Amino acid sequence: MADSPATPEDLAQALEVPIFEVEEALEKLGGRLHHTSSLQLVRIAGGYQICTKAEYADAVTRFLKPQKHKLSRSLMEVLAIVAYRQPVTSAEIDAIRGVDSDYGLRQLVEKRLVVDIGRKAAPGRPVLYGTTQQFLHTFNLQTLEDLPKVEFDEGILSEAIGTNVPPDQPALPSVHDEDTEGDEEE
Amino acid sequence: MGASMASVARLEPVDSPGPLGVFRPPEIHIECGAFRGSLATLFVCVRESKVDLLDIPLGPVCEAYFRYIIEEQQVELESVGVALAALTYLLERKAWRLLPKPEVEEPDAEDLLDDVDPYVHEFQPMIEDLLGRAEERSHLFFRSADSAQLPYELPFETGGVSPSDLAVVFERLMERAKPDPPETLNRPRRSLSEMMFVVLKALPGDFMNLEEIVTGEFTRTEVVWWFLSLLELIRLGQARVRLSEGQVQFARGE
Repeated sequence: MADSPATPEDLAQALEVPIFEVEEALEKLGGRLHHTSSLQLVRIAGGYQICTKAEYADAVTRFLKPQKHKLSRSLMEVLAIVAYRQPVTSAEIDAIRGVDSDYGLRQLVEKRLVVDIGRKAAPGRPVLYGTTQQFLHTFNLQTLEDLPKVEFDEGILSEAIGTNVPPDQPALPSVHDEDTEGDEEE
Repeated sequence: MGASMASVARLEPVDSPGPLGVFRPPEIHIECGAFRGSLATLFVCVRESKVDLLDIPLGPVCEAYFRYIIEEQQVELESVGVALAALTYLLERKAWRLLPKPEVEEPDAEDLLDDVDPYVHEFQPMIEDLLGRAEERSHLFFRSADSAQLPYELPFETGGVSPSDLAVVFERLMERAKPDPPETLNRPRRSLSEMMFVVLKALPGDFMNLEEIVTGEFTRTEVVWWFLSLLELIRLGQARVRLSEGQVQFARGE
């Protein structure tokens, strides 16, 4: 009857049984529902929860008439940056996007998709933002590890946040630079 | 007009330009509540925004200028011209000040953000991925899709009205409120439930803006009481709130 995903640990504690027994039972329950029910057991937001099967979505939608809460493009931008760069400050998001993101952040906090997760050890101790369990639930994710791996072009990002070296200033040698030079000599 | 004009107090013929090549206007003396001095001083003060022209009636100044031209037998053309230029400048500045300022509506922050292209497009694939996942997720229905709602939070369905929207309404009401009078001892206290009863009686059956519901004079404390009561009524389902054409409107519960 829980209205949020239940973790095997919580279930084991409530039932006073070992976790492996809970996991076995969940597997059996999932299998049984898969074959005999319009419901299914899914792993979402770090736990297990029962929901309707996707093939019945149209009928359930007609019955429940849920309100659509589609996020705007700008909110999706801010959310994606928080998801992939967390913990991240408001100023860092602004630097990446090139526009002020305070409004977007406030909206995401109100929608409980983003939360203040601490303060950065930097001048002014700016607030650090991260995603919530609600974010995982909304986007059908088990954990943040489920987000597709992306190779960021750190050059573009550092240019955006202003940490790159000005072109007229000689760059300090780095390990990467030395390797590159070595390759060229060979 | 609130200015007493000593017309031309002392007229000195201006026959040579100043160090910057500008002739000084004749000493037409101006005296009113907001300013006392010559036309030249007024001109400088207005130009440097040291005097608010709205406080200075220009009718008597113009009158003094004409009296200067009529009464003085030997006026210099430069003096007349310089005084006219100074007067014209003042009239134009005042005319602009008197024109009603068009109400500049602040663009919706959301629209502003939507109009701007992101500087970094690297996140576009992630956004697409998240949107795809949200679409998949929209086909699944859980017992409670929006979990972990605290019992004392506003109900989730508030007709699309966010706490920020409510805060804007609260701020507008606060702007209209008068400061509270000094505290009196043993003043009878009103409970929130009593205030909720008052608010409930004031709420209309059909949706209206709060400015139309709350009329007359009120203090800042009363605004806080009013708003707290309103929020509590919304939470209890005894008041309704909706967003209509950008305006937050309230009505009594059905």
